[in-house]
Amino acid sequence: MSIILVGLNHKTAPVEVRERLAFTDDACAESLHALVDGEIIREGLIVSTCNRVEILTATGNERGAEATSRVSDFLSEMRHVPGAMFSPHLYTHSDSNAVRHVFRVASSLDSMVVGEPQILGQVRHAYSLAVAAGTAGRIMHRLVHSALRVAKRVRTETGIAASAVSISFTAVELGRKIFGSLKGATVLLVGAGEMAELAALHLANAGASRILVANRTERAAHILADKFGGEAVDFQNLTAHLAEADIVICSTAATGYVITPEMAGAAREARRNRPIFIIDISVPRNVDPAVGKLDNLFVFDVDDLEAVIASNIREREREAERAESIVESEVLQFDQALRNLDIGPTVGALRTRLQGIADEEYKRQRARLGALTPEQERAVEHLLKSTVNKISHPLIHRMRRSYDTGEADNIRAWRESFGIEE
Amino acid sequence: MKPFLYFALAAYVVAAIHSILAFVNKRRAFERVSMASLGVGFAAHTAAIIIDWVQDGHYPLFYLHETISFLGWTLVIAYALALSRYRAQALGVLTLPLVAALVFVSNIARESSNLLPGRDPDGSAAWLFPIHTTLLLFAYAAFIVAFAASVMYLLQERELKLKTFGAFFHRLPSLSTVDDIGSTSASVGFTLLTLGIVTGIIWSSARSGRMWHNDPIEFFALITWVLYLTLIHYRAQWRGRKAAWLGVAGFALVLCTFVGAMLLGGYHVLS
Repeated sequence: MSIILVGLNHKTAPVEVRERLAFTDDACAESLHALVDGEIIREGLIVSTCNRVEILTATGNERGAEATSRVSDFLSEMRHVPGAMFSPHLYTHSDSNAVRHVFRVASSLDSMVVGEPQILGQVRHAYSLAVAAGTAGRIMHRLVHSALRVAKRVRTETGIAASAVSISFTAVELGRKIFGSLKGATVLLVGAGEMAELAALHLANAGASRILVANRTERAAHILADKFGGEAVDFQNLTAHLAEADIVICSTAATGYVITPEMAGAAREARRNRPIFIIDISVPRNVDPAVGKLDNLFVFDVDDLEAVIASNIREREREAERAESIVESEVLQFDQALRNLDIGPTVGALRTRLQGIADEEYKRQRARLGALTPEQERAVEHLLKSTVNKISHPLIHRMRRSYDTGEADNIRAWRESFGIEE
Repeated sequence: MKPFLYFALAAYVVAAIHSILAFVNKRRAFERVSMASLGVGFAAHTAAIIIDWVQDGHYPLFYLHETISFLGWTLVIAYALALSRYRAQALGVLTLPLVAALVFVSNIARESSNLLPGRDPDGSAAWLFPIHTTLLLFAYAAFIVAFAASVMYLLQERELKLKTFGAFFHRLPSLSTVDDIGSTSASVGFTLLTLGIVTGIIWSSARSGRMWHNDPIEFFALITWVLYLTLIHYRAQWRGRKAAWLGVAGFALVLCTFVGAMLLGGYHVLS
């Protein structure tokens, strides 16, 4: 038995190609039935996201090449796309390479943003579709469960998803870098905006307990304050409120500076030099860059946040190297487990072994039989062969059953009893 | 007892290396090894000090090698206290190699020590002398922890200000944590230093009637004391970067106290 994966992703194919090949959930179920013919392709699973389309199949031994071309034809038929359009972007992996690819995809090592968490859910979803369609068999069950386990290992044992790669989470992360814990922190929103609200929400989730909202129009301030269970404060008296705030998120539409070094300096003095972390996500900027030069004031504008994100992504990539070695060792284990389960070679070896015994005995006793006509000779050979087959048939049947139910121990026991090496 | 001290040194080296590995690779497993070997090293170190004390029959803070070894011992305690309160494993990267170095130097210096007659703590208030030295060494250990926290603060603050996020950004504890470690250990150190100086003065005046010997170590101790007094007094105004620089300066003075005592000689000779 063999595992074949055919697919394309954001690295190999442009979006124009990916969108043509993407499967909706409904199309997915339907297509799975068309894909799995029970002959060449015994099991199938389709992972389709905006960044990738992957067709994962299990086939009989030595059927890899057929399966590959079948999957390619299948894609072309199902999505009504000429093969020439996507085939240059396709990659094909077989057996341990396919397993490695699935593990890497599930662990988010193959994602556009390494370590992003969505892919795991998408893999799980693809699996449930295949289970519902009845195209996930023993191999898929094993493979997907292993992939989910590997993904979990990677997540907990490496820092691949530890650092923030979005503006709002970066705000939380930087807040933690400055204040340690955000429990009980006060957040001041100056102006409103989607991004500012999102950042405030994440800060509140991280423990910030008090949210102040200052806005030029008082009504808008009240509306936003109600949304967060915060307080609307007087925009004219910003310096006083700056002094209360540990974290300030600035996003007004003002064209000039809303926070000046004088205001920030006064606020800092009023709060006895406790640091203030100012996030300026407005363009043009609302916070005078000179504010950031003052001690204990940390100002981050949009570009700075982007720089943090870039650094975090590099950090994730460093962690990814460690994740790769986890994947590698898991691929080895999976291969081993699969080989232990694979019945084909064992069945062949069993037949050869029994036939060998019969042939040997016949050769030893041949002289005693005296002269035989060619017909008689053939009859004896046939007799031996059919006896061997009659004996081995129930054994092999039983072995296949063990294989189907995944009883690796039984298969190992068979092998040992007949002296068959793996 | 020499074998114990050697064993302690080996354990400290292992602890220091694993602390650095934990910092670089961010693996909890290394931290655990570091903590375990630090514990073993500390036990052996304590045994070595007690055995020395029992065998020589004097408080083990007489010779230079004893003082250095004792400083390493107090530093382990200071580190463990800071760790239990703040969970800032990164402190170990600076303190544990220093502990290992101190014990190493102590092992070397041991060969050439001999008792100086002038240091024999006889006469009145002799019991004060061990208290004086012990307090001061604990004070210096606290200042070293304050120094380590200050360095971590400055590195981290620099990255936050310049927005260049290098290796330290992902590895150091938060600014407020290191700021807190720095100020707390400076306050503790200052209190111990004050008590140490006071006991020294009382002991000295009881013994020889003189409170001040124009000794380099006394000068440096006084400057250190004034510096930390300033630091603690202006804590609110100088929170953050300035406080961190004072923490570094304080450590430089502590170094001068030791080096000064060794090079310049005088009343407080450590040999």
